[in-house]
Amino acid sequence: MASTHVTKRAKYKTTIKDPGTPGTLRMTFEKILFVPHNPKSAGKLDVEFRYIKGKKHTKEGSNKPPWLNLTNNQNGSFIFEFENYSDLQECRDFVGKVLAKGGEVSEKPTVAYPDEQLSAAEMELRIKLLQEDSELQKLHKQFVLSGVLTETEFWATRKKLLDREASKKTKQRLGFKSAMISDIKPSTDGRTNKVTFNLTPEVILQIFAEKPAVHRAFLSYVPNKMSERTFWTKYFRAEYLHSTKNSIAAAAEAAEDEELAVFLKQDDILASEARKKIRRVDPTLDMEADEGDDYTHLPDHGILREGSKEMTESQNELYKRSLSQDINRHAAVVLEGRAVDVELEDTKAVAEALAVKTEIESSNKGESDGDTSRERLDRLSRMTEIEDLQGPNTLPLAPLCIKDPRDYFDSQQANALRSSGDALGEIEQIKCGLSTQEVYGSLRESISSIKAMGLKEPIVKPEVAHQVFDALTNSISNTKYHIGKNPQESVLDRLPRKTKEELLHHWTSILELLKHFWASYPITTTYLYVKVNRLKDAMSNIYPQLEEIKGSVPSELRHQVSLLVRPMHQALDAAIQHYEASMQKRSAQSGERPNGYV
Amino acid sequence: MKFQIEDVTVYFLYDYIYPEQYSYMIELKRALDAKGHCLLEMPTGTGKTIALLSLITSYSLSKPETSIKLIYCTRTVHEMEKTLAELKLLHNYQIKHLGPQARLLAIGLSSRKNLCVNPTVLAAENRDSVDAGCRKLTASWVRAMAAENPNVPTCQFFENYERAASAAVLPPGVYTLQDLRMFGKEKGWCPYFLARHMVQFANVVVYSYQYLLDPKVAGIISKEMQKESVVVFDEAHNIDNVCIEALSVSVRRQTLEGATRNLNRISQEIDRFKATDASRLRAEYNRLVEGLALRGNLPITDNWLSNPALPDDILKEAVPGNIRRAEHFLHVLRRLVQYLRGRLDTENVEKESPVSFVASINSHAGIDQKTLKFCYDRLHSLMLTLEITDTDEFLHIQTICDFATLVGTYGRGFSIIIEPFDERMPHIPDPILQLSCHDASLAIKPVFDRFQSVVITSGTLSPIDLYPRLLNFHPVVSRSFTMSLTRDCICPMVLTRGSDQLPVSTKFDMRSDPGVVRNYGKLLLEMVSVVPDGTVCFFVSYSYMDGIINTWNDSGILKEIMQHKLVFIETQDVVETTLALDNYRKACDCGRGAVFFSVARGKVAEGIDFDRHYGRLVIMFGVPFQYTLGKILLARLEYLRDTFQIKEGDFLTFDALRQAAQCVGRVIRSKADYGMMIFADKRYSRHDKRSKLPSWILSHLRDVNLNLSTDMALHIAKEFLRKMAQPYEKIGGSGRKTLLSEEDLEKMGDGGMDEMLY
Repeated sequence: MASTHVTKRAKYKTTIKDPGTPGTLRMTFEKILFVPHNPKSAGKLDVEFRYIKGKKHTKEGSNKPPWLNLTNNQNGSFIFEFENYSDLQECRDFVGKVLAKGGEVSEKPTVAYPDEQLSAAEMELRIKLLQEDSELQKLHKQFVLSGVLTETEFWATRKKLLDREASKKTKQRLGFKSAMISDIKPSTDGRTNKVTFNLTPEVILQIFAEKPAVHRAFLSYVPNKMSERTFWTKYFRAEYLHSTKNSIAAAAEAAEDEELAVFLKQDDILASEARKKIRRVDPTLDMEADEGDDYTHLPDHGILREGSKEMTESQNELYKRSLSQDINRHAAVVLEGRAVDVELEDTKAVAEALAVKTEIESSNKGESDGDTSRERLDRLSRMTEIEDLQGPNTLPLAPLCIKDPRDYFDSQQANALRSSGDALGEIEQIKCGLSTQEVYGSLRESISSIKAMGLKEPIVKPEVAHQVFDALTNSISNTKYHIGKNPQESVLDRLPRKTKEELLHHWTSILELLKHFWASYPITTTYLYVKVNRLKDAMSNIYPQLEEIKGSVPSELRHQVSLLVRPMHQALDAAIQHYEASMQKRSAQSGERPNGYV
Repeated sequence: MKFQIEDVTVYFLYDYIYPEQYSYMIELKRALDAKGHCLLEMPTGTGKTIALLSLITSYSLSKPETSIKLIYCTRTVHEMEKTLAELKLLHNYQIKHLGPQARLLAIGLSSRKNLCVNPTVLAAENRDSVDAGCRKLTASWVRAMAAENPNVPTCQFFENYERAASAAVLPPGVYTLQDLRMFGKEKGWCPYFLARHMVQFANVVVYSYQYLLDPKVAGIISKEMQKESVVVFDEAHNIDNVCIEALSVSVRRQTLEGATRNLNRISQEIDRFKATDASRLRAEYNRLVEGLALRGNLPITDNWLSNPALPDDILKEAVPGNIRRAEHFLHVLRRLVQYLRGRLDTENVEKESPVSFVASINSHAGIDQKTLKFCYDRLHSLMLTLEITDTDEFLHIQTICDFATLVGTYGRGFSIIIEPFDERMPHIPDPILQLSCHDASLAIKPVFDRFQSVVITSGTLSPIDLYPRLLNFHPVVSRSFTMSLTRDCICPMVLTRGSDQLPVSTKFDMRSDPGVVRNYGKLLLEMVSVVPDGTVCFFVSYSYMDGIINTWNDSGILKEIMQHKLVFIETQDVVETTLALDNYRKACDCGRGAVFFSVARGKVAEGIDFDRHYGRLVIMFGVPFQYTLGKILLARLEYLRDTFQIKEGDFLTFDALRQAAQCVGRVIRSKADYGMMIFADKRYSRHDKRSKLPSWILSHLRDVNLNLSTDMALHIAKEFLRKMAQPYEKIGGSGRKTLLSEEDLEKMGDGGMDEMLY
């Protein structure tokens, strides 16, 4: 049947146990459409084929009914029960054809909002954000689920959050653990002398990074010469020999088994790397260069001191590795950071990825040789300058990044309290009454300067920002903290927990509503009009709730609660006033609407 | 800024100057005026080097008729580079303000290993192989051969340099080693020989101590310095040890075996020459009859290390007849090696004076004192005659000849000590014969005699009256400066008890006590959790450090420390230590934070700065006494007592405390910097120990911080760090200024100066 679509009667089941909604299933090359017979029932489905990843179906002859199970890339599934197996077969073949043709697998179907096509990743991100931030979740529940705001509106004000989260996800990479690999302790079963090591790809990567010789051995031995299991057994055998600190025994074992010797010997790759690295080391600590001028330590010149006298048996020294070396190497690797970014599943893959990475690095280093000598010189001159003898130079300030404003204000509390005395005097000096011309002039000036030079980075001068924050902190901590007796304890802390949480929650939800409210002005479309009405209703609902809180607290705290509630009232009042005023205006001049201007 | 000190206009690089830098310059100028030596102690982190350089360059600028040369000696190559970098900044400043008349030539001088640009030579691993590699390409006979046979490899850089002849000069300027290499590469000239050549024209020469103190090196490099030069020894607190080591030699079994191999090789060479070119050996014999003809007219590339004895003590006469013939000399050396081998086969520790040792050689091996004395020069002559270029193979026989020459030259101030094994490891036979010098004044005497002004300066020269006695000289100025601080930016503490209130110490009977080790570990663990960025720990010895790290590793303390900071350790391998340090700095730079474990008296303690965020805390675990049962130390103590009336205990404490002070002093770089110092040993709380610390540390060591336990120290550390993180006024409070501007200096004039400073 070469038709472009199939239409069959079927039952749509969301789960296997679901009795199913009877309806018509219609499949085209693009999408799967299921329309229930009963238009009121909820099982309507409209899924594009590109979201479908795979199909399963029950076999004829088994005692199961004819089911077709289509899985999407979110591991969700759509189950259809057909009336007979021939229908199932037809549909199955069609799906198979389409899947084979499409081939490409991508995003999940949008379930909820027809006006917005969300990618699965975006959806996931939103869910993750909500999960991480309980406050956000509460707000979401309160407004979106109750219908005050739509999903789009809610997230529209948080675009930045979405962006930042998205970009952060790609940037942050996991480093190595700070624990040494020698800390991998075996587990014993307690009865026999057998020990078991648990190796994760993570640990293996670390071993490879810290011991290039082991890495090289792995690449060349496994799996041609020995299995991975024997490889690691040998490795830990060697580690055990090291830990016994018996270099003679180690030498004896190494003589018998040449593969074991690889693990026991000093790492020659490291040694050659060290020689390369020493050339680019910071010249202010290049002690190796000193040896060139050291004529008293010609062999056997000078006085042999404690420490320079070692008891070395030259032959076995080859198999001696000190703990200090291990520690230094470990720290160096941790510092370098993880070199590879592969999914840690297969050790072979890990080993190969690491090999590629080191190759790239070494070739890069070859090119940058010229730069390093320049850099070394710069570094040297930086180390020699005495900074406080120099005249004052303005240091570039890092722009401030505040994640949660509350953290900032809490931390500023102490400062603000201390400086509140003298800072208050300063604030008054700031000129408040500017004339319209002045404001207009300064605005024009700044616009023209932005036109000429573009935006500066940072946009706001750090000093200005600091001043503003100082002033803000001051006034905020005045109301918030001056009431408390102990400066460490804010008013909020003295309230009962429940009240405190409610207050904070109301505060954030009011802020959210107001944000949307003010953003809707000027009202230019009916959509905004509806939205404002919705918001207004939601806001007026808050009044009684606030009253309720006031009523619920013990009388000695009531004054303070009302102090806290007052700004919320004021903000709401202002909004509602504005709403009413604009409503009146609208009704007054309903005839001519001056371009949405309120 | 520029200002007047009496008749000299001083050009100073920075806009401000510390008051102590100013008074340091005044004292220095007085010493220069008096044409005498001086001894100046000024705390680390107060800009000694720049003060010195500013004053001396300005001094010579103000007196253009006398050509004053500055010979600046540093202990390490990186200090050399730093000094030159500082001088470069200063020089640029002076040029800017004075114009071309301020021009000078300043160069750093180091070995071939640090200056060579020939990649084939540079591929060698150590200094001696590089030297030998260079000789193989540039020795006069090799070049003579290459002139005939183009297949003989030579060094392109050296050939270019030779071809340029007198045109090969460095234009005025300041050249760090790196600059020299770059200049050499650019011009295609050998930087090493260029620098060696330019030393005589340079206004400022910066090189290692040993180029002046060790007669082996000084003999070739520092011969032609004029008397008017000013010699500066920076970081000179260990100068007595450098002097002593320069004149000490030790012989072990390996040395004797190597020497025997060398002698066999030489005898083969002699046979070969006899067969092919006997005239050469005859020519040498004739030259030796006429006297020591090999000095003076030697091509620069043929120079080898010079005679190990001091120039005044070298006999200026003909080589004795019995060693003029190469075979005879070889026999003498074989007998000497045989004799020494016999002496090494001893069961007991033996101590002998050089005089009786020489007498014993004479009676047993039939070598008289005069012959011994000439061993070194005779060997040198023979090696040149035999045209041996792989000199790095012949170090053993060279050691033997050094030994012979020294033992034949000096009758007093030395002793010979033969130990059959190391006292701490009596089960391992490792015989060693050491000729050890006890008198630091011997090696430095020629320097004091030759140059009119020698400046000895360091952050720790306390007690300052001891150094003139140790080095046997009379300074015209001897001063110790304190540090004027804007705020208390150093915080020394003495920790006597661990968290369990039990005393901690590295005293011999306590050091292996598990309680002490645990308390030390806990101290470090607590500290790394509160101190940001870098932390440095010093231990009394390598073996102690190894032991304690292993114990910490086993007990899991190390793992906990690693949760807070990365751990790096100084090892005896210089390359590894350097890389560890480099990584340590990186870890501090990137904010990860790190701990560095190091050893007092080690290379790191001597020369690496842990300033700013590279070291916010130093912990000195224990008192770094020398190993007091060491035979050499005992012999030296005896000598000091008999000759200079210095008590053993005093000297040991002085030596231990100067090392400790040196370790902890590395945290401060400038007054904007800050750092804590913990002396973790109960013995530091005793007055006789503590009082040996330099005054700038003592003045900040408050009485309440003298007897702390871990928890109290932790509390103090937290408070200190919090205080230091606050912004502060750089210029200093109302009472005393800690930063002077040009105006301040003008205002002070001559009279008002003292009251402002003190």
